[in-house]
Amino acid sequence: MADAVQTWLPGLQISARRSASRGLKQFLRHRSTIAFLMCLPLMIIIAALVIYPAFYSIYLSMLNKAQTRLVGLGNFTFLLSRDVFWMVVQQTAIFALTAVFFKALIGLVTAHLINNLPARGQRKWRGMLLVPWVIPLALSSLAWWWLFDPTHSAFNWIITGLGFHEIPWLSDPYWARFSVILVNVWYGAPFFLIMYLAALKSVPEQLYEAAAIDGANAWQKFRHITLPMMRNIIAITVLFSLIVTFANFDIVQIMTAGGPRNMTHVFATYAFMLGIRSGDLPLGAATSLFMFPILGIAAIFILRGVRKRGREIG
Amino acid sequence: MTMSHPLNAARPTRRSILKSAALGSAAALAAPYVKSTYAAGSLSIGVWDHWVPGANNALTKLCNEWGAKNNCEVKIDYITSQGEKDKLTAAAEAQAGTGHDIMSHRDWNIRIHQSNLEPVDDVISQLIKQYGPISPVAEYLAKFKGSWRGVPTTVGSQVKPCCSRFDLYQQHAGIDLRAMFPADESKWDKANTDKWTWDAYVESAQKLFKAGFPVGLPMGQTSDAVDWVGALFNAYGVVMVDAKDNIKINSDETRQAMEVARKIMEVSPPEVYAWDDAGNNRWLISGKGSGIMNPPSAWAVAKRDNPTVAQNCWTHPTPKGPKGRFVGQLPQFYGIWQFSKNKQAAKDLLLYISQKDAVAQLVAASYGYDLPSFKSMYDLDTWKTVEPPIGTVYGYPPRGDEQTSMAGAPARAEVGAQIYNQAINTVMISKFTQGHEKLDDVIKWAENELEGTLRA
Amino acid sequence: MTSAALSAPAKRRLGARSSLRRNRRWALITSYVFLVIFAIFFLIPPYYMIVTAFKSDAEVAHMATNPWIIADGITLDQFRILLTQTDFLTFFKNTVIVTLCVVAITMVVSVLAAFSLGRMKFWGSSVLATGIFLTYLVPDTLLFIPLFQIVKAVGLLNSYWGMVLVYPTLTVPFCTWIMIGYFQSIPKELDEAALIDGASHMQMLTKIFIPVALPGIIAAMIFAFTVSWAAFVYPMAFLYSADQQVLTVGTVTSLIRADVYKWGMLMAGALLAAAPPLVIYAFLMDYYIAGLTAGATKG
Repeated sequence: MADAVQTWLPGLQISARRSASRGLKQFLRHRSTIAFLMCLPLMIIIAALVIYPAFYSIYLSMLNKAQTRLVGLGNFTFLLSRDVFWMVVQQTAIFALTAVFFKALIGLVTAHLINNLPARGQRKWRGMLLVPWVIPLALSSLAWWWLFDPTHSAFNWIITGLGFHEIPWLSDPYWARFSVILVNVWYGAPFFLIMYLAALKSVPEQLYEAAAIDGANAWQKFRHITLPMMRNIIAITVLFSLIVTFANFDIVQIMTAGGPRNMTHVFATYAFMLGIRSGDLPLGAATSLFMFPILGIAAIFILRGVRKRGREIG
Repeated sequence: MTMSHPLNAARPTRRSILKSAALGSAAALAAPYVKSTYAAGSLSIGVWDHWVPGANNALTKLCNEWGAKNNCEVKIDYITSQGEKDKLTAAAEAQAGTGHDIMSHRDWNIRIHQSNLEPVDDVISQLIKQYGPISPVAEYLAKFKGSWRGVPTTVGSQVKPCCSRFDLYQQHAGIDLRAMFPADESKWDKANTDKWTWDAYVESAQKLFKAGFPVGLPMGQTSDAVDWVGALFNAYGVVMVDAKDNIKINSDETRQAMEVARKIMEVSPPEVYAWDDAGNNRWLISGKGSGIMNPPSAWAVAKRDNPTVAQNCWTHPTPKGPKGRFVGQLPQFYGIWQFSKNKQAAKDLLLYISQKDAVAQLVAASYGYDLPSFKSMYDLDTWKTVEPPIGTVYGYPPRGDEQTSMAGAPARAEVGAQIYNQAINTVMISKFTQGHEKLDDVIKWAENELEGTLRA
Repeated sequence: MTSAALSAPAKRRLGARSSLRRNRRWALITSYVFLVIFAIFFLIPPYYMIVTAFKSDAEVAHMATNPWIIADGITLDQFRILLTQTDFLTFFKNTVIVTLCVVAITMVVSVLAAFSLGRMKFWGSSVLATGIFLTYLVPDTLLFIPLFQIVKAVGLLNSYWGMVLVYPTLTVPFCTWIMIGYFQSIPKELDEAALIDGASHMQMLTKIFIPVALPGIIAAMIFAFTVSWAAFVYPMAFLYSADQQVLTVGTVTSLIRADVYKWGMLMAGALLAAAPPLVIYAFLMDYYIAGLTAGATKG
């Protein structure tokens, strides 16, 4: 890897060396040039494979169904007038917020529990709790679906065995909403766990010792040391997870495909139904694009907070 | 190239195929079709990945035969409909203007991609000359401004008649289905078959429910559910949107049909609302169910996994309603992309695999699942000889007074495609039965949704 | 903990120490109880996958016995058929190639970018550092249609090399972000000293920063590996030949005929597909946690 980098920029190396001996001003200019060039691969990838396609999608969303003429914001205003679309907005919000909340909570709790264990036991528990994050989601969703299968549900086998009535996991809309959120929490919580665990390890031990001298109890330590130290990582992880959960496709598509009665649709699956199944690509693109402003606003607020705190810390 | 499948179970009897004439005769029959020269080269085809184990092999064999004769390399990709991967691929290929030469399209996809598809009227007119009229449903789905944009396939084309446990029907509902629909159409007694109505269906479903063997009709948002509800609606004369964009859902016919659906849902297992296209199959195979509406794939899997169920299955026409007897039909089509570089070869290949001898092989390899769109081909031996029990899928091709139907028709295809794919009809029933909404509110909701599909 | 007790009077000290110890034991027991509960929740699906993978088809189809145990005897048939009669090994090979390439590309791109954004700064670099994170706001379900044209334009349609092209959009932003945090956590004196010694920026990166930031790099690599191993939407859209297919989509598409779910084989496939990431996590987890640490707190 390093070799690739060196052969990639031989000329720059020489110029950089020469510049170091010259005036400070010139050096700085060169320094920023090098910095820019180092960033170039990243910028090319993002520009060509994210920004350009994103703008193309915006263009696509402003076409009519046959993609023969521009209709401006017609697709967007049409969506806003549909009951089903508003239900999708509502369900996506419920889905993402509930799932992220529980992922963050379970991640935080398990990270603390593991961090409290004697050092030798930690690896084993960490490994076990990380398994859901490691299995490819498309395949584990299938396993969940098989566990929920209406005719052969293994969960219901236990539940009826205990003398209760079987649960319509996927056939009742509200249970189906519960089920897709459950799977999402199951899959995503380990990611929070590992991020928090990493953050916990980075909190200087002296702080806790000092707090102990002052007679702080566990909750106070958590409230006044752990939480402030982890605030940034919690914010970033929540943001990342919020974005990914909002845009989730695999879980809902595999488990319910949006049913029953459209009540488990999220943006991505609803866009898929409109764009791919019903053949109205511009409308599907418009649906997906509705995610952007919602998440964009959330992201700006969260990131601004993170940067502000970053400056305060140092 | 091919996906070798681990489930190469025993094939149905092939005597029928061996007996039929060698495939060479097809070329002779196809004489009026002008076969112009084209550069021998390669053809790529994306075809629906068959659900019946081993059925893909028959198509691969036919394509290779044709390729060897015409010095053309044929590359087949079998693309699953699981997760709508086939539609995803088609949409992406259409958008990018590149991909396979021939692509198979399910349900409404010809109409969705019509402007990117090559007219195939020459192939169709040749086939009509040979084999007579094509199913009206296929015509509705593949003809655009008077010109055919797709050739109906044999592979994967299907109807969804009743597949019932005749033992349970006899025992608990007092109906002898094998006597009513014996494996020989000439023995069908109209006075008898006329008794098989939706009312009779409801009545027997109630009895079977009491006996602990409910029928399993799906009520999700996938094609199995949409198709049977479409057939029910047609039997009662429900029109959702007519050909001139008038919304007609608010009618007495709708209310009647919704009542029937409600009665059926009352005696159905609650999980039908979550079933995908495999749900009803598993229901039948598990032995808990007394009847479904499906192609013979459920029976074929039962034959492998639960043979006692398979031995008691009988495929027979759907119930009749006030406006006739309808069965949901879901044809597939081969479409040639306009960007294809080898259109003439593509047409040639499609004609070759549409000949009756070729069709016979495909039908046999799928245990009769594949249903060609030509009524003249319903006399193939497979449907008579497949067992157990002998004649179990004889009633699969529409026979007697059974007509095929498509949910969403007779609306303009652009409108129908959305009605169908958004499953407005099954969502209506779910809201009414599972959601306990008032019928008038449900109809109002449907009117609003249908209005949405009319958007220019 | 003991230091707190030491400063207290002797009487109180004894009592406090034993109650502390008792508290601590209770805390530990409670921890274990909750961990067991969470572990059960997290491990139910994998357990069920294992059980199903070792069952015979007939047992899965009938569901007559307890689904949570293997009643009719363990069979390796599912694995045997999976490995000998399906294209599973091809999928596996393709996935390995794609993943290795994507990890390599991701690391080159994001280490360079993170070094530049985290240590060097240029006009607009702080906006860019925030902006890369926002690329995740554009989901893959929106991008695949336009990307189809790009992948086609470079002639990589229906080829797993096309995945090598598009997966970095999923991996690079997060990895860059981890690395920025890590590079920022390295003391400033280090590069000042190096510059005085006349080292170029590239030498600084390769000789000083990469070795020091190795835990962070490994963490980023593991993340890139996990994401590209499990990617689903892009291969679903861009690959349709069995010889080009990758594990996730290949397992799902070749083992499901919608009427016939081959549950035993599906689960066997899922287990084998999950094995490489499991092994990697088992061996490199300490690096992962250590690597995330710096990146996480500073980000």
